[in-house]
Parts: sequence; C-alpha cells; structure tokens
Amino acid sequence: MKFVPTLLAAALVVAAPAFAGSAADAVTVADPYVRLVPPGQPATGAFFVLKNSDDKDHKVLKAESSAAKVTELHTHLNEGGMMKMRPVKDIEIKAKGEAELKPGSLHVMLINLNKPLKEGDSIPLKLIFEDNSSKEVSATVRKIQAEMPMGKPADMPMGKGEMMHHHH
Amino acid sequence: MKRGILIGAIVVLSVLLVWATVVWQPASPRPGALSQGPRGGDFTLQAASGPLALHDLRGKVVLLYFGYTMCPDICPTSLAFTAQGLNHLDKAEQEKVKMLFVTVDPERDTLERVKDYASFFHPSIIGLTGSPEDIARVARLYGASYARQNVDSAAGYVVDHTADTYVIAPAGKLFAVLPHGAPPAKVAETIRAALVAK
Repeated sequence: MKFVPTLLAAALVVAAPAFAGSAADAVTVADPYVRLVPPGQPATGAFFVLKNSDDKDHKVLKAESSAAKVTELHTHLNEGGMMKMRPVKDIEIKAKGEAELKPGSLHVMLINLNKPLKEGDSIPLKLIFEDNSSKEVSATVRKIQAEMPMGKPADMPMGKGEMMHHHH
Repeated sequence: MKRGILIGAIVVLSVLLVWATVVWQPASPRPGALSQGPRGGDFTLQAASGPLALHDLRGKVVLLYFGYTMCPDICPTSLAFTAQGLNHLDKAEQEKVKMLFVTVDPERDTLERVKDYASFFHPSIIGLTGSPEDIARVARLYGASYARQNVDSAAGYVVDHTADTYVIAPAGKLFAVLPHGAPPAKVAETIRAALVAK
C-alpha cells in the first residue's frame, strides 16, 4: 500500500512543471503587426505587446519567421537626436508586467524578406523563451497610421517645429 | 600661494561664466540646433532620372530628409508622417511641394532602390544618392549627422542618423526644422507657412 503514495508523489513531481507553467504559458502576445514597407526593401519590423501573468520574470531570447531569411531582436535609442538601432540579446517581461514592442523602440527585425509584403498578409512569428518554450503568433501586415481612426490628427506632445528667425 | 589660488579661482569662474552664457542652452531641444549660424544652401545629388539640384526646385517648398532604406522603422515613420502632412494640403498646395529623401547609405542604396523607397510613401518624394563626399557635404550644410556602425547582426551595419526634416522655402533658404515624429497637422502648418515665406 505504501507505494501508492510514492507513485502519487512521483506523478505529481513529473506533472509539476506542467502545473507551474512554462514561459510560453504565462506570456501573451497582443496585437501583433508587421509594418508594410515598399517591395524590394530588405527589412521591416514586427511589433506587439507582451504580457506576463506569472510571478517570475520571463525573457524572449529569440524570434523566428519563415517570412525572412534572418529574424533578430532589436531596439532603437535616441541619443542627442541621433537615431540608433541596435541588436538586443533578449526582451525581458517582468513578473505581472508588460513589454511593448513599438515603432521607435523594441522590435523584431525581419531581415531579407522572402517575398514582398502586401497589406493584410499574415506573417508567422515564433517567439522562443528562456526556458525553451515557444509561442507561435500570426502578425498582420499593416500600413503605418499616424492619425486616429476618427480622422483627427494624433495630438502628441512632441513635434514643436523650430522656426528660423530671419533678421533683415 | 594664496594669490595663485585666487587667480586659479578667477580663471575657473570665468570659464564657467563664459560657458554658461555662450555654450549652455537649457531649453535647446538638441545640441547645437539653433546655436549654429545660418544653415542650408544649394546642392546637386543624383536621382534615378538624372542629377537634381536644389535650385531646380526654386519656387517650391522643399522638404529634405536624410535616412536609408535598410532602416525598418525610423525612416518609414518619418516619411509616412510627412506624407500624411502633404495629404492635408489641397491639390494646388501639393503641387508646390517636393520632398527629397537623401540616403546616408550610398554604398547599399542604389538609384533604383532609393527611388522605389521614396515614391512608395508619396509621389512627391524623390530619392537621392551620390558619392559619400557629396552626401556628407549636403548633410553638413543642413546640420544633419550620421555615422555607420558595425553591429552583430545579419544586417551587417546600421547607420545612426538624425531624423529631422528640413523645410526649405521657395526662394531656397532654410525655413524651419521639423523634429522626427512631428504630427501630420504640424507638417502641413509648417509647409503652408513656408509657402508664403520670402
């Protein structure tokens, strides 16, 4: 009779990782999209919001896509007006937190696209996490919108044009 | 001994005073933005249709932007916002505006590539390239900076660059500088002001 509790305990130990949840289980991907770029252009970016429902931090270590020859993780830095794009080794999503991939910031870069993009295309993306779990999402190709859907221009705090003063 | 310290202190304070009045610009959005003297000027670069000089566009408002086609994010954003600004104008106004996209990556951006890239965002945008020296000269005239960086990426190298749009009035003088991300309404407003500038 004693071996039943042991068997149960063994079963629980084996099953425990499934209950504890992998990173892929804990992290959701919201609103994935890929920016439409002109045909013949070699690279574009994929953007989405990662949300981590877990009690511990998770990281995306790699991204893969059949739409491009190479897929990498990048970010943008604005240093003194110089726009700098740099590869990053991972994207961290803190416990109960979010990581936003958006224009001008973190993104998945698709390099050497296999074929020209069309608005509305579905681009497959696979995100690989630190525990080797992975998640597949489908990102829609979208044209960049600067304005709100209602047709009102986005009212952003930035964008103060500098006017040159000409003194005659 | 004491006199040496006093003189030293005067020198240090004088330097600080000079720095505070001449160099330090707390409200300046970007180093050297307005502190540099008059900028701008004529130039000739290469379009797919042949050489194009700024003076060929006299009488039009010209928007000038420096970027490159391997840039997957900043350049498309700048060009898309500006294109939407152009679309705020009526047809008659649009006919008086041209935009120039000058590549800071002449090694990779061929005439065809830069033309396709530019016109994708708006028919009024002309893609330009040239020799590295010519491009550097034009960038200097307008206060644009760029620097090639080798990165550990299949992209090979990236080009760091400033992402302002320079607005040139119909007489050929630099009129305004729009920062990256200026909303389309702001772009349209600045173009309209430039259209009536001397």
